[in-house]
Amino acid sequence: MKKLIILITLVSTFTVQAQEFDKNLASARSAYAAGNLEDTRFSIQQMLNDIDIIVGKEIMKLLPAKMDAMTANTKEDNVTANTGIAGVMIHRTYGTGEKNALIDIMGNSPLVGSLNAILSLPLVGNSGDGTQKTVKVQGYKGILQKSVDTETNKANFTLQIPLSTTLLTFTVNDSSEADVLRMANTIPVPQIAKLVQ
Amino acid sequence: MQGTRKRPFLFCTNPAGFFFVISSSKQLISMKYKILMAGVAFLAITFTMNAQGIMGKLKQKAENAAENALEKKAKEKAGVSGGSNQSGSGSSGNSNSGSGNPANKGGGGLVTTPPDVKANLADAETAFKSNSYADARYAAQQAMLGVEMEIGNKVLKSLPETVSGLPYQKESDQVTSTGWGWAGLTIQREYLKEDKQLRTMIANNSAWMSAINMYLANGGYSQTTGGEQNWKQTKVKGHRAVIEYNESSGYKLSVPLGQTSLIVWEAVNFASEQEVMSAANAFDIDGLIKTLGEK
Repeated sequence: MKKLIILITLVSTFTVQAQEFDKNLASARSAYAAGNLEDTRFSIQQMLNDIDIIVGKEIMKLLPAKMDAMTANTKEDNVTANTGIAGVMIHRTYGTGEKNALIDIMGNSPLVGSLNAILSLPLVGNSGDGTQKTVKVQGYKGILQKSVDTETNKANFTLQIPLSTTLLTFTVNDSSEADVLRMANTIPVPQIAKLVQ
Repeated sequence: MQGTRKRPFLFCTNPAGFFFVISSSKQLISMKYKILMAGVAFLAITFTMNAQGIMGKLKQKAENAAENALEKKAKEKAGVSGGSNQSGSGSSGNSNSGSGNPANKGGGGLVTTPPDVKANLADAETAFKSNSYADARYAAQQAMLGVEMEIGNKVLKSLPETVSGLPYQKESDQVTSTGWGWAGLTIQREYLKEDKQLRTMIANNSAWMSAINMYLANGGYSQTTGGEQNWKQTKVKGHRAVIEYNESSGYKLSVPLGQTSLIVWEAVNFASEQEVMSAANAFDIDGLIKTLGEK
């Protein structure tokens, strides 16, 4: 029943967004025909926003419902489109206790350039103290960073994978490197890369 | 002799001649061991330093190679011949470059027609209906690029052809857009006569422009007294502006246009502030605000 409600909600929001796209497309066409270039531009920007929101929701559907024993907190799922400096932002969390995980996908991320530079320099990408290393997840290069909580002595990990101009960040708290990489391999990275290109 | 045997090592630690003598054989072995360890440590440090030096040299070589390659590419792109390995390519009638590849003798260049807005909107619709969102986004961006190029050309047409006796340089007219929507549009025109130049730049719809405009229009430049005053707040046709002066680059006048646009003039070899203000007054600021759809 719960799954059915989620499915209905997703389908209805998708339909609303598709209608918005059609509405903005019609506005762009009529403004352009009337020679109103500024309004045309505004409507096309709205169309790009609509596409980003739909892409964000499609990606959300692709994300795994569970990460090991941690269940996705679908109520906290968030897709924000913003034709500003950053593009679409997708946010999902897993688990409720100290051991939890979260996925953040950010379009047009300003961090992508510097990450790509690190990935192309193996000497820089791998730190001597073991807190940072370059890894591959389903063929995509990424940077895995480890930080240890000095009070609890628990290890937290952040994996960053640049996909064109989009940045996928997977954070897992209170875990091990092997577990993080195993969980990361359940994220459908190639499909996400295809959608955000 | 016996005494000298018992004192094989003499360490002079200062010019005054203070001696530290080791006499027992046990101490001798210990000292030998220490010297050996010191030697090993010295060698290790030297090796590390050498290794660092080698790494540094390798890094330097790699950087130089990358720089040379980039420079060569840039020169090739700009059509500039230079460097010892291109000595044969400059001669006329020689169709082969140094590497034996034929040199390009000319071509039609690229067709720089802006993208067709209507066709791209239709493509966006088709791609969207078939759930090809990447294609839909690309087509919408192309449509945006087309619209922005049209806006830019419309603005260029509205600018004066002569300002303060300086004619505009047609070949310098430029409209730049990425089609991303948020990166905005820039329009440039240049007026020039002899060594007197007025460069005009209009930035429109940049996401960060609103912050700049707020800064300029609200006196973000704090006024000081004393010392050399090389900027001040002013008004151009009733619009708040900031004028700056630099001995090497000349005058710079910036006027925010509505919420997300800005016009900047850079005046080189203008005699006075007044002359710059008169040049700026030749532009229809209100007309620009209207054309750019600003409020």
